[in-house]
Amino acid sequence: MKWILLVAELLTVGSALIVAINPNILYSAVFLLFSFLGVAVMYLFAGADFLAGVQVVVYVGGVTILILFAIMLTQWLYRLKLKDIGSKFVVPGVVLALGLVPFLHRGLTELGKMVQAAPPEKMAEFAGSPKTALIGKALLTNYLLPFEAITILLLGALVGAVWLARPKA
Amino acid sequence: MNLLDFSNSIEGYLLVSSILLTLGIFSVLTRKNAIGILLGVELILNAAGINFVAFSKFHLAALDGQMVTLFIILIAAAEAAVALAIILRFYRLKQTIDADEASLLRN
Repeated sequence: MKWILLVAELLTVGSALIVAINPNILYSAVFLLFSFLGVAVMYLFAGADFLAGVQVVVYVGGVTILILFAIMLTQWLYRLKLKDIGSKFVVPGVVLALGLVPFLHRGLTELGKMVQAAPPEKMAEFAGSPKTALIGKALLTNYLLPFEAITILLLGALVGAVWLARPKA
Repeated sequence: MNLLDFSNSIEGYLLVSSILLTLGIFSVLTRKNAIGILLGVELILNAAGINFVAFSKFHLAALDGQMVTLFIILIAAAEAAVALAIILRFYRLKQTIDADEASLLRN
């Protein structure tokens, strides 16, 4: 079973690499889909079954399709290439890409050592239990205020997006 | 760090999330295309979600990190919808989605 997680992690990282460096924006969007799928499998292995489903439905089925639609609607844009960008930020981007990963990883690992780790049996019990009912209960008790706030945010985003993309009067 | 023993340690999750964050920042900085910038932002949000889920399992063994990731996913969906609506509007105005062309407010 461990190799599935490894494959998912390699899929996530490899697809994200293609998303970042492929000059063709259409290919980038398609590989973003595979990256999201890899993240969903990683969620499964971390005991987040409900989140894996949400990730597939919202990101793979929603956001990626939305981005592909936008690319198709704004024609010619996928001819924009990385090399004819020649942006002044390419050098800082490469420096960040090379320098930030070990730095970040080291910092996060040290942070993980500082925080008290959960006992293994508790961790195994948590990872093995289904989460949907627990998340539903939490949304209506401890997380009621953020839940209500996010409904208003989603309504605003829905109305705002429709209003922004309206046809010319 | 044993490369094949990722499933029972937080290392693999942290490594993947740092790489995703860096690639996202790289994408945001180097792309001229507005949709390319949006792709980078999505990568960054996914990196944050992975971190929350990983720490939720390995250090809390409780649900709180997963709740935060759920809200991150919802906010990312709303953000993508609004951003793409703005990009379509901008395309209709300028016939391009080059982010450098968005200079109407610049003097």
